Amino acid sequence: METAIEVRNLVVERGKRRVLHGLTCSIPRGSVTGLLGPSGSGKTTLMRAIVGVQIVKSGVVTVLGEPAGTPRLRHKIGYLTQSPSVYADLTVRENARYFASLYKGITPADADNAVEMVGLGDAANQLVATLSGGQRARASLACTLVSRPEVLILDEPTVGQDPVLRDELWHQFRAMAAAGTTLLVSSHVMDEASRCDRLLLIREGALIADDTPDLVRASAGTNDLDAAFLHLIRTMEKTGVAS
Amino acid sequence: MIASVRAELLRLGRWPTTWVLCGTWLVLNLTFGYVFNYLSYRSDDGGGGFANQVSDGAPASTLLAQLMPDRVPVTLVQGMPMFGGALVLILGALAVGSGYGWGTWKTVFTTGPRRVTAMGGTLGALGIMLVGLVVVSFILDLVAAFTVAAAESQPTTWPTLADSAQGLGAGLLICAMWMAGGVMLGTLTRGPALAVGLGLVWSLVVENLLRGVAGLLGPLETVTNVLPGTAAGSIAGAIGAVVQSDPNGTPGVTTVLGGTAAALLLGGYLLAFLAASLALTARRDVTT
Ligand SMILES: Nc1ncnc2c1ncn2[C@@H]1O[C@H](COP(=O)(O)OP(=O)(O)O)[C@@H](O)[C@H]1O
Ligand SMILES: [Mg+2]
Repeated sequence: METAIEVRNLVVERGKRRVLHGLTCSIPRGSVTGLLGPSGSGKTTLMRAIVGVQIVKSGVVTVLGEPAGTPRLRHKIGYLTQSPSVYADLTVRENARYFASLYKGITPADADNAVEMVGLGDAANQLVATLSGGQRARASLACTLVSRPEVLILDEPTVGQDPVLRDELWHQFRAMAAAGTTLLVSSHVMDEASRCDRLLLIREGALIADDTPDLVRASAGTNDLDAAFLHLIRTMEKTGVAS
Repeated sequence: MIASVRAELLRLGRWPTTWVLCGTWLVLNLTFGYVFNYLSYRSDDGGGGFANQVSDGAPASTLLAQLMPDRVPVTLVQGMPMFGGALVLILGALAVGSGYGWGTWKTVFTTGPRRVTAMGGTLGALGIMLVGLVVVSFILDLVAAFTVAAAESQPTTWPTLADSAQGLGAGLLICAMWMAGGVMLGTLTRGPALAVGLGLVWSLVVENLLRGVAGLLGPLETVTNVLPGTAAGSIAGAIGAVVQSDPNGTPGVTTVLGGTAAALLLGGYLLAFLAASLALTARRDVTT
């Protein structure tokens, strides 16, 4: 399968701490890859490096064959930041249209579509300031989706969403992947894992698994991903692979 | 760039804050330019009371002359060194600062147009709005002046083209300088609140305090003479706004600098603020 994102020996330091310890992985095109790990494990940092806003100590990050952060990639990448990135004093629709008008060939209708896609059609004319936390996150997601980027980096898009909406969002992600979009979706909860084509399990800045959900389960000898996670960590600690 | 200007116009146009600030300017401009002076003129029956407090004995004919259409270019500008500048400074600081406050610049700068283009879009949109604001104020002032002239059966002389151009140009320059100052502060502090606070403290408090101290401490005067507020006040003074030392004068207006020197200084500050904003935007880290 064709590779969309390639990360080789990525080392990132933030402040005085080493946050990513020589991470290597590759993410196939037209798929949903889950980046799973506990809070503080380096998910956001890895995503920032892929988007090209993180200063890296060493290593290489390539997106669609170009070095991460090159201007040519800007219009091909969508990045949903962990905290919402929308104007609270504008409505949902106005926010989406604001982002839409930044891109050539993206129309107000595309903006309204994106608002529908994240299930905010009924709240389109509501001020973002008056939305719930989960709704605000979806408003931000709508703004990310508006330009229909080839690569979507979504940092914890489903946090705080009710189960029904979460299910709908995952259906959207799957549909986008089916249409050729590459998605990297982070989460700190395990129950999202089975929705992904591939999993990257990250802990303390190092990958402890890079495989399909089924193979992760198999190699851990359990059907439960939480247990699989624990098993993988224990095995590594015993063999001293992760340092 | 055009897409960015359009996006920013859309955002700023839909933003209630923009209209509150612009509306405040228009109301203050009319109130201090026409309403108070006209009331003062009407009640100036040679006795004491309101008229004498406001006009401090200025002859009624002087007062009326200031309300006539041919004085509109001056009236337009006289409030700008004080509240006009402060209001557009707030607008500039908020327009840029709120993008940092809500985290939206982060997204625009990473996946939207290039940073300088995005910032250029904001500056372009603000510039367009500023031109609109100054022109609308000019028209409203003309309407007010013609109304007063009609009510008082005075001859209606239009302001000359040269005077009008001078007034509009001076007004634009003063406001553009303060607005760019606000933009720079918003970029520097990466947020709306501190930028607005610092800007207002500087323009309304610190400059005036410094000028007060300079009165006692000679050498300081060379510094206070070239401050942004002095330049703004001087250009208003140079085109004929009544100076503050005159009890009937407008606060903020001075004649410390000549018109040309003041205009050059304002232009210099404007360019420096714009350059600093663009450079800061281009160079700095995008934080989480
Ligand atoms: N700006 C920063 N300066 C210093 N350390 C940081 C900064 N941001 C994050 N970190 C540290 O980097 C580590 C990884 O953070 P992050 O990538 O945000 O993890 P996650 O997204 O998985 O919760 C954490 O230990 C965090 O404390
Ligand atoms: Mg995170």
